[in-house]
Amino acid sequence: MIEVRNLVKTYRIAGQSMRAVDDATFTIQDGEMVSIIGHSGSGKTTLLSLIGGLTRPDSGEVKIDGVNIWSLGDRELSGLRNTKISFVYQFSSLLPTLTALENILLPTAFGHVRQDAADFGMIYLEKLGLTDKRDSYPSELSGGQQRRVAIARAFVNNPRIILADEPTGDLDEETEQDVIQCFKDMNKDTGVTFIIVTHNKEVASRMGRQLRMANGILAENS
Amino acid sequence: MRIRILNLAFKNLRRKFVRTLVLSLSVAVVTGSLLGATVFITGMKNALKIGTYRLGADILVVPEKYEAQAKSALLAGEPTSFYMDRSVYDRIKKMEGVKRASPQLFIEPTSFTCCYNVKTFLIAFDPDTDFTIAPWLEKHLKRRLTGNEIITGREMPVITGDTLPFYGTPFHVVGTLEPTGMKFFDQSVFMTMDAAYRMAADSRTKAVQPINIPRDKISAVLVQVTEDMTPDRMAIRIEHDIDGVKAIASDQVISAVRRQLGGLIKGIFVISSVLWVLALLLMSFAFYMIVNERQRELGLLRSMGATRGHVFKLIIGEAVITSLSGGVVGLVAGSALLLSFQGLIVHSLKLPYLLPPAGMLGGLVAAAVAFSIITGLISSVLPALIASRMEPYEAIRKGE
Ligand SMILES: Nc1ncnc2c1ncn2[C@@H]1O[C@H](COP(=O)(O)OP(=O)(O)OP(=O)(O)O)[C@@H](O)[C@H]1O
Ligand SMILES: [Mg+2]
Repeated sequence: MIEVRNLVKTYRIAGQSMRAVDDATFTIQDGEMVSIIGHSGSGKTTLLSLIGGLTRPDSGEVKIDGVNIWSLGDRELSGLRNTKISFVYQFSSLLPTLTALENILLPTAFGHVRQDAADFGMIYLEKLGLTDKRDSYPSELSGGQQRRVAIARAFVNNPRIILADEPTGDLDEETEQDVIQCFKDMNKDTGVTFIIVTHNKEVASRMGRQLRMANGILAENS
Repeated sequence: MRIRILNLAFKNLRRKFVRTLVLSLSVAVVTGSLLGATVFITGMKNALKIGTYRLGADILVVPEKYEAQAKSALLAGEPTSFYMDRSVYDRIKKMEGVKRASPQLFIEPTSFTCCYNVKTFLIAFDPDTDFTIAPWLEKHLKRRLTGNEIITGREMPVITGDTLPFYGTPFHVVGTLEPTGMKFFDQSVFMTMDAAYRMAADSRTKAVQPINIPRDKISAVLVQVTEDMTPDRMAIRIEHDIDGVKAIASDQVISAVRRQLGGLIKGIFVISSVLWVLALLLMSFAFYMIVNERQRELGLLRSMGATRGHVFKLIIGEAVITSLSGGVVGLVAGSALLLSFQGLIVHSLKLPYLLPPAGMLGGLVAAAVAFSIITGLISSVLPALIASRMEPYEAIRKGE
């Protein structure tokens, strides 16, 4: 369960302070699929980063399974990111020096190691139609293929929460549908929670719950 | 299958191969030259220590005009001949403050007598009073040198049992001294004074180029002083009491060489320090750039669960792999250069030199390895710290 209380994140731009996330409060139950929509610059990425432990809020709290993540030390917080939370980004986030399979296994370098990680990686490559690309380097993959590898990587440590920031932003419609379907299957199979930022209303409508962000202020969209 | 941080470091370095190579080589140059110079200087000190121990004399008394020749004979083994009256020895031996004294003859052999390229230097000692060769004879031959028997230095291309002719007289090699690094010993032939006088006398009939050494002539007197006397004071006293001689205190020769070495060491130290600082700056700058250009990647690693420590380790790891491999290359190249050029350097410096013992060499090699690791650590600790302190989200954003 994710509980967010009075979360505030302020940036100083040219001497002016600007609230990128302005007093956000909400709760997301385990296994929910939530979409966040909103204009560019409305604070969606900032919000995901606050929830995922990537940037420290000015005030307010983020509790995951009852633990205030911003009261944790670096090790615990990193451990949390390693095992409980995964990110999927809107840009290519693969390491150019690693093959597709190695990229998928990358999170295992930082702590939690599942014995069947390689098998798991292969299963996901297959699910995403990339079996023959396991030894390809990112430079040899198309944008959509890279994104799918990044999605497989997000699953490798069996997270409880996946934070996806426009994961299908630059994919063609068909691949986009595949990815969303993959998320839904994953959600059904393992009960993993999804928070997906998207500009695509159709994608948003396929999630169980929609949040909308405008000028840092979050609201339910119903 | 598992990805390890060290693995990542290797892959990153391989990706930027040229950069890695340049950084590595800069460390190689510093480590190699530093190691080479250190081994070389240690070798000189080593030779001085062993050589003076071997000589065993506190003072060398020679004819006044031959001070320079005597010193270069001692330090560089330059063959030389000069003579003075035996009475010098008789007077020194009776002086207060003299514990032991022993005369020696230095004979520069004619060319073609022996031994091709190696410069040979004949040294004749008095078996009754000698304390230079005596300890060796006692330990290895276990008897005195008699008749036409000779002991040779380590660099003479002969073995025990060989026969060498000097001025028409054949001599029998009965032993070889251990190496000292001083050519005075290593390229010399030691015989008794008796044999030397006889050889000179017989040369008139046996040799193409005869040599004349009357029995009342000697070249030098080696002196050991008593405990309550210093070599310096004794040297002054000898020069005061006896006309026409120069008394060279061996520790003065040594300290002069040490001074010369000191200058050399200082020079090398300054050059190496400058090189080192340059290599450090180059490495630090490169790693600062590396951290900067890889911000997003490092932020991504953090988002996948890398702790600050992991990021720190990754950057430090890359630097240490780079500098260590450079260090190893420098070590090998430096040793190879030293081994191939040490003869030339020694020759041009005219100073004694003996490769330090294996244990010490091992220590120096270990120190060189440690040095290269430390270079990597120092140059990357700040960039690594910066990298590990970045907030993941900021790093990911700024890396765009
Ligand atoms: N590190 C930062 N420093 C300064 N301002 C920032 C920083 N991060 C975000 N902002 C500002 O905060 C606001 C929200 O940014 P954010 O990236 O969260 O928007 P977004 O909703 O994800 O936009 P998009 O849809 O374009 O990705 C923007 O005005 C942005 O300029
Ligand atoms: Mg965004």
